[in-house]
Amino acid sequence: MSGLLQTFVEGFINPLVTPAHVLTLLALALLLGQQNRPVSFLVFALGLAGGFVAIVLAVEATPARTVLLASAAVLGVMVAAAWAPKPLALLLAAIMGTALALDSPPQAVTIADAYATLAGTALGACAMLFVVATIAAHANADWQRLGVRILGSWIAASAILVLAVWLK
Amino acid sequence: MRDPDHSKIAHPGHAAAIVALMVLAGGPASAHIVDGSAAGGFLGGFAHPLFGLDHVVAMIAVGLWGAFLGPPAIWLLPITFPLVMACGGAIAILGVAVPGVEIGIASSAIVLGAMIALAARPPLVGAALIVAAFAIFHGHAHGAELPPGSDVVAFSVGFVVATGLLHLSGIAFGLLARWPAGRIGVRVAGVGIALVGLAFLSKAV
Repeated sequence: MSGLLQTFVEGFINPLVTPAHVLTLLALALLLGQQNRPVSFLVFALGLAGGFVAIVLAVEATPARTVLLASAAVLGVMVAAAWAPKPLALLLAAIMGTALALDSPPQAVTIADAYATLAGTALGACAMLFVVATIAAHANADWQRLGVRILGSWIAASAILVLAVWLK
Repeated sequence: MRDPDHSKIAHPGHAAAIVALMVLAGGPASAHIVDGSAAGGFLGGFAHPLFGLDHVVAMIAVGLWGAFLGPPAIWLLPITFPLVMACGGAIAILGVAVPGVEIGIASSAIVLGAMIALAARPPLVGAALIVAAFAIFHGHAHGAELPPGSDVVAFSVGFVVATGLLHLSGIAFGLLARWPAGRIGVRVAGVGIALVGLAFLSKAV
């Protein structure tokens, strides 16, 4: 595998194996699927792009991971309650996209490697979001809808515990 | 509300013997971490709630009671519990003391077990409040033991998932209440859960 392709793949895998990213992406995907609002997906992608632009402009370290977990907690509660006002859902999608990008700075030597990693991360995050949201959108049976809500409560509970540890 | 089948509950002597064995085999909720190395990641978090019998029976009781009450309690109680439990855990992590945690945990098994055994059907809000109140104690006990570190996310996810799966196992068992014989079995399980709670309460006070 060529060096550039390898860094792309590493970037693709990164949001799928980083627990905080998985948790937040799952929360947003469940909400998107539950509410069937594809516009939020677009807003997330725009937020992601904005975050990557900030990385390219060499933004200093940010509390992005804390923001991600806080968003996951709120989104988890919203999924559990099956309640999502459109403006709030859009705002959280934008925040999560930006925060996820800012929390994924590439560890690359060359500029080309850095861009390949960022492109991989963007694609990996969007792919996971799309797949899980599609599955959640097709969860129409009663027990499936309840399963989505229960998953939302688990995500919120996990995020609250982690936030408490970090804020201690 | 009492159910006429209440008189069919298993012989108290047999149930007491089973409970005594279970309590001897399990430790209280304050002794969940088996060793430090196991508590680092997802598996450590997953195993964490499974090593305290008092916690396990209460988690199962939440699902069991939810299934016994039927919709919407069947999903509302298992959603309420982890959310409030996490708040209890956060309180502990932030260093806020809650008095009588072990007594609260033992009482949760007694009360929830009794609710199932007596086929109690309080209003939905009342049931959710009962579950939420006890969730604070369970969360506090576990939150005090959460290991700080880089893998705390995986640990917390494992911990919450294990707790949720205990709820689901209770729901699965509770669905037997659709049939008359299953209903008796579920209520007998409620008696067992309450007796386990009583045994832990006697150790806690």
